[in-house]
Amino acid sequence: MGKRVNVTGIAVLVFFLLLGVLISIRLTGLGSRFPNPVGGAMQRVLSVVEKPILQLGNGIRDNTKVLWNFRNVEQENQELHKKVDQLTGDNLKLKEQVLAGLRYSELDQGVFRSPTLDKYTKVGATIINRNPTSWYSTLTVNRGSNDGVQINDPVIGDLGLVGKVVSVSPTTSEVLMILDGEGQVSAVVRDSAGNGTFGIVQGTYKRGSRLTPEGNLEMLFRRADNVNVGNLVLTSGQGGVYPQDVPIGKVKEIELDPSGLLKTAYIEPLVDFDSLEEVYIVKMVGAK
Amino acid sequence: MRYILITVMFLLSLILPGTLFHFWAWSGIKPDLLMLLTIYMAAHHRRLSSLLWGLGAGLLEDFYLGRYIGMYTLTLLVVAFLSNWLTERWYRENFLLTTFMVFIVTAVGQICVAFLALGAGLQWSMADIAQLVFGVALYNAVLVPITYPLIHRSFQYGWLRYRPRYER
Repeated sequence: MGKRVNVTGIAVLVFFLLLGVLISIRLTGLGSRFPNPVGGAMQRVLSVVEKPILQLGNGIRDNTKVLWNFRNVEQENQELHKKVDQLTGDNLKLKEQVLAGLRYSELDQGVFRSPTLDKYTKVGATIINRNPTSWYSTLTVNRGSNDGVQINDPVIGDLGLVGKVVSVSPTTSEVLMILDGEGQVSAVVRDSAGNGTFGIVQGTYKRGSRLTPEGNLEMLFRRADNVNVGNLVLTSGQGGVYPQDVPIGKVKEIELDPSGLLKTAYIEPLVDFDSLEEVYIVKMVGAK
Repeated sequence: MRYILITVMFLLSLILPGTLFHFWAWSGIKPDLLMLLTIYMAAHHRRLSSLLWGLGAGLLEDFYLGRYIGMYTLTLLVVAFLSNWLTERWYRENFLLTTFMVFIVTAVGQICVAFLALGAGLQWSMADIAQLVFGVALYNAVLVPITYPLIHRSFQYGWLRYRPRYER
């Protein structure tokens, strides 16, 4: 005779197991400050191996790009040639403009430069790993609490905002990219005259795929708001996480809501998240 | 030697998807190597050992990721159970069948992660989930012909050879 299976017992066990796991997941989610000493120790040990492997991958990609992507490289080369010609012409024009008058450049400086960012200390960091799963858009960098990095410190690239620190170990930090659906940034859209319209930039999964960086940032506005394609999106400084006037991206497309009351601006990030190798962590505590 | 090798394989399975496989991702999809290794481990152990390996691998991944603790623990536990249950019924020497099994079990594992992720409040569309589940399962299945013959051989005759207590 076969063994008698206690179905009720198994069902109760499975129920409590599932309940326990769901509670644990909720308590240790993205907003939580779960200390995770085991994970911290693992990150510390493994970061020694991760960095050379990622550099090896970067090296392989850069050196074999021409083999895998010959047509694209050829096209890119032609475009770059065109751009060089165009830039040479632009450069001459620019020299004329500089001589003609400096007021436009003063306006540009007022709009695009971020004096608030200069108040903070920045730490350079190298990306040593990306999230091993495809479920979150995070990066691991080689700076941690030993370098004074704290949770919620903003992270910027050479062209603009990358994200914020969500967990810190003594030697590494994990950065949640703004592309992730869970990351939101208080932002302002500036038109060519420098006037601002405030809103929230967030990762979206409604339009493109959440698995690729393209078309994944959006902002909601009222229909009457003066937002146009090509406008620059900057951090507003509200909310206390990100400093003011850090570039995020450019408005690529505007779509009207079927209700006619709202419109969605799709934003093209300035940072190329796929080929990002170095970033700055902005230390928000102890500003000058 | 067996345990050192297993530890190294587990750690590499954690590191490689975020580093080397980042460059070999297909539309953002990377293989889940830890899930693949858990399937291999479960296919070559008895049920209780399989469950313990699944539990250990899940905890390792959860602590490494540092958030949503329990998500991978439960998932890899389910994956280990399912893999073990299937290999008891299928020939694990048949590589084609193993490839199919890896596809099915990985898909179930990814659905499990998706279910728990949605339960945790992560915003994912059904289309993206379907793409991710199918993509990761396919990627893992593609890796089977490259990795499984070596691993299986090692489990049978090499350093990874496993002998249940009653055989020793």
